[in-house]
Amino acid sequence: MKVDTTAASSKRSSRKAIALFALAAVTIVAAFLGMSVGSVYVAPGLIVAIWTGESSSLSFIVENYRLPRAILAILAGAGFAISGVILQGMIRNPLASPDVIGVTKGAGLFAVAIILFFPHASPLVLPLFAFLGALAVALALIAFARKSGAQPSTFALVGLGVGAVCQALTEFVLVKYPMQANDSLVWLAGSLWGKGWDEIYGLLPWLCVLIPAAFALHRQLDIISLDEHSSTGLGLRVSQSRYGLLLLAVALAGACVAAIGSIGFIGLLAPQIARKLFGNQHRMLLPGAAIIGALILLIADAIGRGVNPPVEIPAGILTALIGVPYFLYLVRVEKKRT
Amino acid sequence: MSKKSRFRQWGHLAWSLALACAVVLTGCGSSETKNQAASQDSAQAAQKRTIKHELGETEITGEPKRVVALEFSFVDALWELGVTPVGIAHEKETDVEGLLGQKIEYTSVGTRQQPNLEVISTLKPDLIIGDLNRHKDIYKELQKIAPTIILKSRNSTYQENLSSFTTIGEALNKQKEAEQRLVKHKAVIDELKKNIPAGDSRTVMLGVFRADSLSAHGAKSFDGELLEMVGIKNAIQDAAEPTVKISLEQMVQWDPDVIFLVEADDTLLSEWKQNPLWNNITAVKNKEVYQVNRDLWTRYRGLKSAEKIVTEASEILYSKKK
Repeated sequence: MKVDTTAASSKRSSRKAIALFALAAVTIVAAFLGMSVGSVYVAPGLIVAIWTGESSSLSFIVENYRLPRAILAILAGAGFAISGVILQGMIRNPLASPDVIGVTKGAGLFAVAIILFFPHASPLVLPLFAFLGALAVALALIAFARKSGAQPSTFALVGLGVGAVCQALTEFVLVKYPMQANDSLVWLAGSLWGKGWDEIYGLLPWLCVLIPAAFALHRQLDIISLDEHSSTGLGLRVSQSRYGLLLLAVALAGACVAAIGSIGFIGLLAPQIARKLFGNQHRMLLPGAAIIGALILLIADAIGRGVNPPVEIPAGILTALIGVPYFLYLVRVEKKRT
Repeated sequence: MSKKSRFRQWGHLAWSLALACAVVLTGCGSSETKNQAASQDSAQAAQKRTIKHELGETEITGEPKRVVALEFSFVDALWELGVTPVGIAHEKETDVEGLLGQKIEYTSVGTRQQPNLEVISTLKPDLIIGDLNRHKDIYKELQKIAPTIILKSRNSTYQENLSSFTTIGEALNKQKEAEQRLVKHKAVIDELKKNIPAGDSRTVMLGVFRADSLSAHGAKSFDGELLEMVGIKNAIQDAAEPTVKISLEQMVQWDPDVIFLVEADDTLLSEWKQNPLWNNITAVKNKEVYQVNRDLWTRYRGLKSAEKIVTEASEILYSKKK
């Protein structure tokens, strides 16, 4: 993998910085325009008017649904994407993501399990359990990986296995208790439907700690994505570092899954797109992936709201529908170039 | 003992006091609001009422006119009590017409599984009725829009659906109408029950075929319990859940004498028909497998649907023999 360290690359990296700001600007514009989309069209001019304090019959919709959903999409999209970048770097596999190593599936299993054991639990219990499920998968991964000396391939393989078990058990619960599964089904598909300020307040504290932590570790991520010898040679305590990064990634994905359900696919897609645009250096890759993740989820949510109102399509389904073709297109372009 | 003698002295007074208490208590028990209405100006009493429901208590002012119903049985209840819902959650275009037997004006608010909060809020409702099974998690969000009550409908028994009807009557401030409708309902069911001879030992299975599974409605399901009540025995008595997914082997084991079949998808059914086990089921042997309407039997619930279900069942089971 290339690591830009020479002075000659500074021009390239400043161009990347400009691209990063441009992308951020696009995301903000997309968030703004997306807020007018839904079962009721709210003209962008009216959204500004509502913001500046002019009250309207539609201000309830903007304040209670459109605005919190846009914010939540940005937060969770960024969270999933960063989690994916960390996992891909740490496992040294571009296909790693919170989905692949079983984190979102563990969260899913715990979430459907509460319908079994606590059918009358308050809605607040579900995100808590989802987060615990993600952590449980992380602990299982660490327990297995310890024996193999924290080999990257072990994380990937164990993750796949644990994920498969969790998914099988989830299916079992859904088949066994089909009538109780309503909330879980919506949640498993991954959707911003019915989410609002409460979820933002639940997610924001986590992201305020975990995202800066991820940015602070960008050099460590650069090193650990090299091969074993190089990273050890550069003075990194590889296995400790891997456990730390794993927990960081899992906490990020777990917090996001708890808020909006398993849209884990963004964790694969956004980092991949960011790699094509910003290269493999994590200083640029992390913020780049975060913005792209936010953008994908914003667009998916707006389309899901606007395409067939009053019926909503879960954002989790749309991220796959719009994300994958673009992803394949990027792969094709890359192949032509080489 | 000494107390008793004292009471004997004041015998008449004690007796009349007790009687008065009993009257007051039964009055309170049947409906708190009614009692208030009796003592105060009725319009004033109607202003603020506290309605108990599955997720707590909700204060309702006046008589709600703009009601959003998120389950079919609630639509049925509102309609029966003379309120046309302004917003209805449904899946198919034909759902509401099929349920009420006529076309009405309403706004579609998305599916029952994921009702559209934005659309509900634009309707400016004064009451929202949600289902415990489906809408527990958005109760808070619904409350922000309008006073919301959460009642039992989906995956609930016949009796639970009846008590949801009563609560809707209270919420609309139409307790009397609701009571009368329930009395009428009971009379209709009792009348229909006369068509069903006692001592029929046949057991009935209510099966919904989907592409990959068969869900059977047991004795604790809405239609299962209803039919049990009028004397039609359900083949599945001891299921843990009102609705259970079963295999062909289990079906053979329960061996129903009659099958009421709802065919949502014929993939699985045509596969089972190829299987020799299928022909071993008594109902199949006796050619007592009947198609029934899926919407009526599994989706609508409510009083009107209950009456129709019993009518249909007794026609299928006994019309030939009469």
